[in-house]
Amino acid sequence: MPAIIEIKGVTRTYKLGDEILNALDNVSFSVNAGEFVAITGPSGSGKSTLANIIGGLDKPNSGTISVDGNDLSHTRDNKLSDYRNEHIGFVFQSFNLQGNNTALENVMLPLVFARMKNKERKVRAKECLEAVGLGDRLKHRPTQLSGGQRQRVAIARALATRPKILIADEPTGNLDSARGEEIMKLLKELNKKEGITLLIITHDMNVARQAGRVVEIRDGKLNERRG
Amino acid sequence: MKFTDYIRIAFRNIRRQKLRSALTIFAVVIGATSVTIMLALVTGAKSFFLRQVESSGMLQQIAVSPKQDITDFNDAGNGSNCDSCVKLTDDIVNKINKIDHVTGVAREYGAYQLQALVYNGKKLSMNRTDAYDANGVITVTMVAGRDFTPEDKEGVVIITADYADKFGFKGHYQDMVGKEIIIQTQKGYSGVGADVPRPEPPKPGEQNNGPPDYPATQLKAKVVGIQDTSDNSQTVRVPLDWARAINVNHMWQVTEADQKLNEAACKNSRGPCGNQNNMTLVATDYFTQSGYQALIVKADTAKNAKLVAADIKKLGVGAADAESMINQQLMIFNIMGLILGGIGGIALVVAAIGVINTMIMAILERTREIGVMRAVGARRSTVRKLFTFEASLLGFFGGVFGVLVGYGLTRIANVVVNKQLASQSVKASNIIGMPIWLILTVVGIATLIGMLAGLYPAARAAKLDPVEALRYE
Repeated sequence: MPAIIEIKGVTRTYKLGDEILNALDNVSFSVNAGEFVAITGPSGSGKSTLANIIGGLDKPNSGTISVDGNDLSHTRDNKLSDYRNEHIGFVFQSFNLQGNNTALENVMLPLVFARMKNKERKVRAKECLEAVGLGDRLKHRPTQLSGGQRQRVAIARALATRPKILIADEPTGNLDSARGEEIMKLLKELNKKEGITLLIITHDMNVARQAGRVVEIRDGKLNERRG
Repeated sequence: MKFTDYIRIAFRNIRRQKLRSALTIFAVVIGATSVTIMLALVTGAKSFFLRQVESSGMLQQIAVSPKQDITDFNDAGNGSNCDSCVKLTDDIVNKINKIDHVTGVAREYGAYQLQALVYNGKKLSMNRTDAYDANGVITVTMVAGRDFTPEDKEGVVIITADYADKFGFKGHYQDMVGKEIIIQTQKGYSGVGADVPRPEPPKPGEQNNGPPDYPATQLKAKVVGIQDTSDNSQTVRVPLDWARAINVNHMWQVTEADQKLNEAACKNSRGPCGNQNNMTLVATDYFTQSGYQALIVKADTAKNAKLVAADIKKLGVGAADAESMINQQLMIFNIMGLILGGIGGIALVVAAIGVINTMIMAILERTREIGVMRAVGARRSTVRKLFTFEASLLGFFGGVFGVLVGYGLTRIANVVVNKQLASQSVKASNIIGMPIWLILTVVGIATLIGMLAGLYPAARAAKLDPVEALRYE
């Protein structure tokens, strides 16, 4: 399998007052297409920073990162936006759905920025909601849905533009264990059946254990363990 | 992102905070309403003025003045006493009549030494007495009776509705027509109709007393018509011939012939030779010294008025068409529009601050949402446009409702103004108009102000770091 994500010597520092914080310190790392990788580590270890850099939300201070042939370290903001839209699906711990929009409208949001036609958007969004088992909840608003259902909507939104990579930051963090299991099952299915590269950031060992590969970040340094 | 998506999302966001959006829009409505009303008033007044000017035929008129350097139509009657003035005589009138495109000349001449109008025991002071040819060059609107005809020579008068009101004929002007009223002169008047007694010869040893103090004369006049008051109120019009006759001074004088007679009588007499008093009543026609006050020349078309004015100037007299006067008047309207519009504009600026405030609040509330939008592929420019659209939409709604409210208020104002105009017997109604350009301008300005107010908040939203925004609580 060819590497879809390639990171070489990436350093990301933050200024916190006078102190300089090394969120990522000379990290090199690669992920093959279709892999399921769990990124673990204590809070503040830099695992979210790594995910953000891969997802094109953040840029490294030094080092190179290439995802699916896109060099992200020297990409302009507009290109990064388009990259996120086309290549990455984000799933957040707190779902981050738009409260006054229906499930369908939430899933349509990335397609709006992808300049897809309104009719096609609806068809595609419906398709995605059906894929996560919410075909009968299209017109529901987030407040009318359970936590697990909300996360499913969020996953459907992440899938809308058919990205190759799904980045999930503590996707089960706000759910009870039964709902969490369901979400993990759904994500693994997507990884297996659709071949979507799956990156999960978690400090939950039960979640990490299900991954094909676990990498641990501690104080900005990466340690790899084969799962 | 497509234009319709921007509108749709902005509209949805405005509906999210209904009360706050409504209050923000309300502030814009106040501004837009005041701009609408101010502009509608000025526009209405302006078009009313232009219509009046057009219907009065003023655009075809050229004012001729004894003063050579007049530039303004209204200056024509003033200042006939200057060194370089050229007397306006019938000779000049004939010459003007021969100029191409001239269709008529009205000679203007004022009557002096008139003091008051008396009817039924009521005495009203007189401000102005006009007299000009009744040949259709100068047209006036009559509310009752008729205008003068060339057959009217003397003993007739036209008064403005304002006088008729004060004499108690308000609302039934027709009843005043045919009534006889008195034009009372000043003391010392010696024109037509005055009783000018021969002065007593000075007694021996007395100084000559100079001209005697004649009592005021009561000139009888029949009211033939009541004239509209709207242009210049309190005018009394008499026929041109009568005005000339009124201005003729009569005075007992010892002429050279009288002097000789007196001297001859003195030689023949044996007694003291002081009270020989042969005298003659000498009439001095003021007109022969002054000429006409002004001439109003009518050109065949408004376009030719300028040409005719230029030709008249070649005769050595002053001439001006109404253009500069109208332009000056229009400029006053425009300045008024700017000032009044500016006052409304201040309200709009205050409303803009409200829009800025609302948008900053909205962005704080929606920080996470902005983060999500950025994460799923919204560009900075998309976020900026989205919030700019939202602010513009607030302005747009404010503008639309402002125009609606303004329209309602001008309708009410028209009812009041119509009554006022009717009471002054002006044939015009609904003069405060709302042309389509005004509606578009106000809505456009309100939208533009909303957009400008949205620029800063939108820039702030676009600058947000997506990672920070997603973490925002």
